[in-house]
Amino acid sequence: MRNWKESWNRFSTVFYPILFGALMITLWQTGILHKILGADTFTLPMPHRIYTIIKENLPVIMQNVQATLIVALGGLFLGSLLGYLLGVVAAIFTKWGKGGLTLASAFNAIPIIAIAPILNNLTKDVSPNANIRSMVAKILVVTITSTVAMSVNAYRGLTEIKPFSMDLMRSYAATERQIFWKLRLPNSLPFIFTALRVSVPGCVISALVSEYFAEYIVGVGRQIRENIVLAQYATAWAYISVACLMGIALYVVLLIFESILLKGRK
Amino acid sequence: MQAIRKLPETDAVVNDGVEIKIENMSVRFSDRTGGGAIDALTNVSLDIRQGEFVSLVGPSGCGKTTLLRAIADLQEPTSGSITVRGQTPREIRLQKKFGIVFQNPVLYDWRTARRNVCMPMELMGIPKQQRTATVSEMLDMVNLQGFGFKYPHQLSGGMQQRVGIARALAIKPEILLMDEPFSALDEFTKEKLNEELLSIWSKAKKTIVFVTHNISESVFLSDRVVVLSPHPGRISAIVDITLPRPRHLAVKDTPEFSALVSKVRNSFEGV
Repeated sequence: MRNWKESWNRFSTVFYPILFGALMITLWQTGILHKILGADTFTLPMPHRIYTIIKENLPVIMQNVQATLIVALGGLFLGSLLGYLLGVVAAIFTKWGKGGLTLASAFNAIPIIAIAPILNNLTKDVSPNANIRSMVAKILVVTITSTVAMSVNAYRGLTEIKPFSMDLMRSYAATERQIFWKLRLPNSLPFIFTALRVSVPGCVISALVSEYFAEYIVGVGRQIRENIVLAQYATAWAYISVACLMGIALYVVLLIFESILLKGRK
Repeated sequence: MQAIRKLPETDAVVNDGVEIKIENMSVRFSDRTGGGAIDALTNVSLDIRQGEFVSLVGPSGCGKTTLLRAIADLQEPTSGSITVRGQTPREIRLQKKFGIVFQNPVLYDWRTARRNVCMPMELMGIPKQQRTATVSEMLDMVNLQGFGFKYPHQLSGGMQQRVGIARALAIKPEILLMDEPFSALDEFTKEKLNEELLSIWSKAKKTIVFVTHNISESVFLSDRVVVLSPHPGRISAIVDITLPRPRHLAVKDTPEFSALVSKVRNSFEGV
């Protein structure tokens, strides 16, 4: 009985969203959605047209996807690494660490739109190549936006140790280093994934927005903007769809990693 | 000076048969909220012999866990002294001669049963081959062969606690300290594990200090039951358990057993 319920739960978490998506696409393709929203097929093209554009421009789109992925994943990696290290430092110096992290959380309140142009300006002398210096600026934007979530969660994972676990380590006269590697670090693993569940979708959004302000014209986000400016709404929608697919794909990859690495935990 | 090698003090103590010597020990917790200090333990003196099974029994707040933690060097006594094999508890702890089993099993949920048992040996830098052999031996001893590759949440509460015992025994400790290890388990599982613990004890020949609030459990297991009373925490009696060994659960139905349980119960003061 319970097993049946459990498998239904697992099934329905996938089934309902897919059902909802299918319903939306049906409404869209049949033009009902346009009637509801009062839109025309010029600003909101039919799904099949968007699909055709994606198919016909696949090589160009993939170039832009690649540029955006480098920014999103590069920034995510650097930001998460930095965030984790900050969490470790805070866990070592608990006295100031907790307050410091609260302060760092304030950084999260700075909107991407504000930091992107500033970083553009700051990195203008990094390289004579416009593509490279734009890349650096964009990666820095994503780095900043994904640092805080990781540092706060890493700190929690490193310090929220189950009762008696510390006593156990002390009773074996474990060194601080051993406690870190054998207890704190593995204990923080689920917290790393909590942070990534926030920052993986976040890194895609930050990457898209940072591209808007970049000097060099490349990337999925930038193509959305360029095509809207040129009133090529169908192409813009193609890039919007690709951006959504990227976000979903990265999230799925994250969930797969999580299910492998957290195997056996409750 | 150095040419004359002093005989290790421990030998004399071991010959004496006393493994843990507690003299006039007190533990006082200062109350930070502004009230008075709390006397967790006052003037406790107790000798525990090598290979002996001693229970510390008493109601909540009598300081039995504090006493165990003091022996394990997890709690500093305010006054008095503890020596273990003629050394300080800290020295014994640093030599990793204590095996501790806590109220909850404290298993790492990211490690399988085998790797949990393995953990202390990793800390000690014991080579892998030896670790693997010892883990198998320990899991056999606690009757968990076949469950080694399960994760903690796949095991019952009783099995988890048995993994905890296997882990404590894996480093071949001289002294096993157990802090209400079975208190969270149901009565059936508890009795089964009590019997198993006695068989492990007879095989492993360790000194065991066992904290419990269960009188019947303490009488069944022990050579001596140390009765503690609260406010302030103190030893109010030490009862010799003369029941023959090896003991099985049937001993609980004898009049001798009931008499000893009554004797322990009547030793409490001020509850």
